[in-house]
Amino acid sequence: MFNKPVDLAGAAAFVALMAALPLVFPSNYLIGVLTVSVMYGIWAVTWDFMSGLTGRENFGHALFIGVGAYTAGFMNTTFGFNGWWSLPASMVMAVLFALLIGLPTLRLKGPYFALAMLSGSVIMQRLMLIFWESTGGEEGLNGLTPLIRSQVGFYYFALAVLVAITLLLMALARSHFGLILRAIRGDEATCQAAGINVTFYKIASLVISAAFAGAGGAMYAHYQLQVSPQLFAVVTSITIITMVYVGGMASIYGPVGGAILLVLLTELLRNFGEWRLMIYSCALILILFFLPGGLVAPTWRRLRAAWLRRAA
Amino acid sequence: MATLLEVSGLNKHFGGLHAVKNVSLAVERGEVVGILGPNGAGKTTVYNLLTGFIAPDPGARIVFQGQSVLGLAPYRIAALGISRTFQLCRPFVGLSVLENVVVGALGAKASRGADLETRARLLLAQVGLSGKEGVPVEVLSYGDQRRLEIARALAAKPALLLLDEPFAGLGSAEIADLSALIRKVHGDEGLTVVLIEHKLREFMRLVDRVVALDFGEIIAEGLPDDIVRHPAVIEAYIGRDNDVSPAASSHAA
Repeated sequence: MFNKPVDLAGAAAFVALMAALPLVFPSNYLIGVLTVSVMYGIWAVTWDFMSGLTGRENFGHALFIGVGAYTAGFMNTTFGFNGWWSLPASMVMAVLFALLIGLPTLRLKGPYFALAMLSGSVIMQRLMLIFWESTGGEEGLNGLTPLIRSQVGFYYFALAVLVAITLLLMALARSHFGLILRAIRGDEATCQAAGINVTFYKIASLVISAAFAGAGGAMYAHYQLQVSPQLFAVVTSITIITMVYVGGMASIYGPVGGAILLVLLTELLRNFGEWRLMIYSCALILILFFLPGGLVAPTWRRLRAAWLRRAA
Repeated sequence: MATLLEVSGLNKHFGGLHAVKNVSLAVERGEVVGILGPNGAGKTTVYNLLTGFIAPDPGARIVFQGQSVLGLAPYRIAALGISRTFQLCRPFVGLSVLENVVVGALGAKASRGADLETRARLLLAQVGLSGKEGVPVEVLSYGDQRRLEIARALAAKPALLLLDEPFAGLGSAEIADLSALIRKVHGDEGLTVVLIEHKLREFMRLVDRVVALDFGEIIAEGLPDDIVRHPAVIEAYIGRDNDVSPAASSHAA
């Protein structure tokens, strides 16, 4: 199925490429784009860990991003905490929201979880506008302090976080814990007949996914130096799901590639002006239509097979 | 012999339908018990009630190894040592054959820290699926899926194995193989087995004792040979006819 030395070599090559890009092309614009792509990588990989493995689609991942970002915003601006406190605090808050939605809905069959996540993010977006006196309304919270002053420094920090989260989630996905999550996707009733507490595992995977997505949200807030209700937008959740599909569902590493690819694609298409969205959408439709298993993970599997064949 | 499972006053209404009527039965440790009955007699519902997938009407008593399992979640009942298979095979789609069996063991408390993969390979060899460990379950033939279901159920090291129509949809050669397998796991591990069936012939050779159900009610109970001649069973299977001979009834399927 997989080959450890080759997989590690592939991962190292990917990290080396991502780390070398700002050195080869030292432009603030490129570093900015790469930083955003790495953030989306964190969100895509955390989405895939819960929804890709268990098959319970989460249509409101932006809820955890927004909760993480606003936690960072309040901690940093309203209460004046040092920016680094935002990371653990946002993880805790995102976990609380994961439990709030997961506990009642993940014990049920049917679309309740997907819908509750979707409406959760929409409701939070409205609440940020309704309580504008403390949340800043449409303007949001401004004047957050950066975690790391240097732009390249922050990029390398974000890249390191992405790599760490991806390695951790890969290890979990390949453990017995991950095997149970994939079995839940296979058949819930059989899982129960095998003595597995399905609800516990679904909630546990959502909690892990939410914690890291929330941390990603806090990092994004300290990168943009402001937070706004836009963070809860449904379109963000949908973009993340698209990235996972392009990357290759349930492969964990694939969605990282999918996220970076789609963020870069959006930027590369800027030259096309008003045609940009049209070309972007057509490319997506073609990818999803002709490669239902995704683009990144299957491509890597083919490369690896070819490499192993040549080595043999 | 000690009583492994004791059930009494088991009832289930689905709306106006009285699907299971006051069923009482006891299973002794080491027995192979068959639950016989035509389609719609309530056999699978009895399994779902025993394993917690459906809650019985109030007043029921289900005691397994001296402990009441009434009202427990299905995964808790399974962890106590009751493994079941499903009438329509329900493997973990997307997992390999070996992974399916490993997952079957993960819920059991006995398997903490054990080498589950080695055990799973042994079980697959036992059910005749060696060499197919890495195959995705989706491509298995129907007969192989049935074998896999049994391997998965055995992986949890159950005290009681409930098989739901293990022979359904199989050819006669496969049925012979599978009943040899059931006899083997019963002999090897001293496992208590209950199986639901309506294919009479193989079934009668396999079981020690038969409980016949019709319209949710126990209509007869006893040794296989007596059940085949029991007038109520004959009536349930081929209708009332005074001329019917016992020989003819044993071919009914």
